[in-house]
Amino acid sequence: MVPDRCERTTSLGVSRRSFVAAASAVGAGGIAGCLGRGAEEGAVVAYGDTDFQDIMDPEGELHQALWDAGLDEDITVSVRTGPDETEQRRSAAQSALQAERSQPDLFMMDSGWTIPFILREQTVNLEDRLSNETLGLIENEYLEAAVETARHPETGELHALPLFPDFGTMQYREDLAEDAGYDTEDWGTEPMSWQEFSEVAADVRADSGVDFGFTTQAAAYEGLACCTFNEVISTWGGAYFGGLDELFEAGGREVTVDEEPVLDAIRMMRTFVRGQDDEHALEGYEQIAPTAIVQYTEEDARGPFAGGNVVMHRNWPYSIAIAHDDGMGDQVGMMPMPYGVEEDEAAYDGLGGTAAALGGWHLTLNPASENQEEATQVLEAFATEEVMLTVFEVQGWIPPIVELLEDVDPEEIGPVAEYAETIEIAGENAVPRPVTDIWPEQSAHIYQEVNAAYRGVKSPEEAMADLADRLEASEADVGEQDVQ
Amino acid sequence: MSSDTDAAIGGETPERERTGNAVVNWMEGLSEAAYAYLLLIPSFLLLAFIAFYPLLMTFVMSLQEDRTRGGETLGGFVGVENYVDVLTGDVRLAQQFMDVSLSGAFPFVEFGVPLLQQALFVTLGFAVISVFFETVFGFGQALILDQEFRGRRWVRVAIILPWAVPIVIQGMIFFLLFQPEVGFGTDLMQWLGLFGPNPLADSQDAFVIVLVADIWKSTAFMALLILAGLQSVDRSLYDVAKVAGASPWKRFKLITLPLILPALLVAMLFRTMDAMRVYGLIESSVGCTTVPSLTCMVVEAMFGGTRIFGTAAAVAFLTALVIGLFISVYIVLFRDTEAGFY
Repeated sequence: MVPDRCERTTSLGVSRRSFVAAASAVGAGGIAGCLGRGAEEGAVVAYGDTDFQDIMDPEGELHQALWDAGLDEDITVSVRTGPDETEQRRSAAQSALQAERSQPDLFMMDSGWTIPFILREQTVNLEDRLSNETLGLIENEYLEAAVETARHPETGELHALPLFPDFGTMQYREDLAEDAGYDTEDWGTEPMSWQEFSEVAADVRADSGVDFGFTTQAAAYEGLACCTFNEVISTWGGAYFGGLDELFEAGGREVTVDEEPVLDAIRMMRTFVRGQDDEHALEGYEQIAPTAIVQYTEEDARGPFAGGNVVMHRNWPYSIAIAHDDGMGDQVGMMPMPYGVEEDEAAYDGLGGTAAALGGWHLTLNPASENQEEATQVLEAFATEEVMLTVFEVQGWIPPIVELLEDVDPEEIGPVAEYAETIEIAGENAVPRPVTDIWPEQSAHIYQEVNAAYRGVKSPEEAMADLADRLEASEADVGEQDVQ
Repeated sequence: MSSDTDAAIGGETPERERTGNAVVNWMEGLSEAAYAYLLLIPSFLLLAFIAFYPLLMTFVMSLQEDRTRGGETLGGFVGVENYVDVLTGDVRLAQQFMDVSLSGAFPFVEFGVPLLQQALFVTLGFAVISVFFETVFGFGQALILDQEFRGRRWVRVAIILPWAVPIVIQGMIFFLLFQPEVGFGTDLMQWLGLFGPNPLADSQDAFVIVLVADIWKSTAFMALLILAGLQSVDRSLYDVAKVAGASPWKRFKLITLPLILPALLVAMLFRTMDAMRVYGLIESSVGCTTVPSLTCMVVEAMFGGTRIFGTAAAVAFLTALVIGLFISVYIVLFRDTEAGFY
């Protein structure tokens, strides 16, 4: 049937002209409504996590400390939060900076991915913004490993202010160890070897009847590449790209992942998971970890430890702070990361012996920000000892001048300070990941191959040979780009 | 409005309307089809603006070199180099789009990395297998729901329930099921000898988990659409068939199937499109590292942290192309059937 157009008009009861008029009015109104949002005024906007938002409460202690440290009293900092996961926060920051949005003014950036932003010219050189006094303090007093990840790798200029460093730490059940007859008095300051560590963990596990000797993070994710694996190979004297001076400039670096110390580190971890039955097991090491660690990230590994089912637990200090909140404080000790080889046996300078992966966060300034002066004032205020200690007190974030922990009273300022000595050792032996503009890409190759080797899908040699190929290709790619 | 009614009844625009603006008068005089196209113009413009223009720009970007540092986001023109890298297993990503090379010996192809680490095959495999099972199970459920029985309403609710679960929640359910210490899934499947000890980290096991999760959820969608088709079938046709002595199978083959084929094909088309784009379910359950889909690759390349926008654009464009090609199979194959998509 062919409908008569006039009939249809009648049945609808709406004329063409009124329909078109109404539709365009609705459309125009809708578009105007979407674009009409303005930016708020009178505050420096920072992009960070929910913890940062909590401590930046306008009524809170930290704002007072910032004002006391010289920040104009009419400046407040409001924090916009992003996802809790660091990689998602990185992509959110990247989108905002790529689009050259004027807000947020400050970005909280992981020390593990600040350098790519610096290299992409999405940060501001702070050398001509901060006062000489502050720059001197950062140069001389701040934890050097952390500051290195805040500098432009080619010019050495400071582009970010370290907010707090974080270290991989080994936490253990002091009560169970002592019940099993161990004297733990010097465990907090004297690193033990991994072999001794595995024997102790297995022994205490047997004595106490808990389920597991050791939990750590070994899922295929950034945390494995940057931190837990990087830590373990460092204690064995190995590295991804040779020594510690090859960390921050990609393009033609020598790839050293197929060397013996790295292979030993994998063999050890496989022994921890699979015991002496594994064909690549290291002799003399015990089976101590559940096989599920190859699926564990931080919280998965912390669960069984917080549940009282684990003797040794590798995690960041936040986990020990939670243990104290949960009333387990007296039972938990902290020791420096065990070592694979002594420092003088290591193939590269500065490796071997105890090592702690470097985490932590920086603050950077948005180049497109319209509040740069106010935001710089905020950075200045964060670079004072009083503010660092307030941050530590309210949130447990370790001051970037780690020595400040020595003089504080744990009763007053927070339980993590009880472990000040151990944390300082971690700070002295902190190993940053080799972060460059192509680290995210290389990191993905690393965690994938290492995870496959841990799971037993590939032999240590095979996995590291494959990895070496991928890393060499990626070094070559970025090298080519430089030529043009 | 009286003037309109007058116009409608008279079939002609009265004199007083013509005094208005020329465009409006022109519009009033258009044929029905022309008027329809006129009304569609804003939609087409919008579509061009939000779909075709980005696609074109993506293609332009994909012909430029990656720039991982410096203020410039893209380097110079490199032709199809990014595509060659993506298609030969040389892409700067942890997972490969495809990594297949020809070899001299049987079976004449060689996989650079395992098949389930190649996004193209993961996605195609996922789409074909999941849509197949969803169609079969959905059909079964619809046939049951089409019967009259006590408590049918409740069975309907039960069958449709999974469809109401948000994707992330669904992903979390399966993640937790197979998270040791939390779910019983790993122990059960290991006891049955089907899975290894760490299914979430094993590409093969994880692929099965994603498949099952998707089938569990989306079968309900298929069942709903097929049921709608079933209920529109004229019941008297069955009575005639019964009188004529047709067996249940014949009744199904000669009456049910042909009559619901249009609905079935539309449902399958929708599901296939959805399956080709799978991302959220994977990301919230086993993770894109273990089971990389095409969309996973796009997200990884674009937001992975290393600025490889040229490569990301190439991966995105190829993904759009693959989905487009795969979907056009339906359109071409069923062009001449009653269910043809015009």
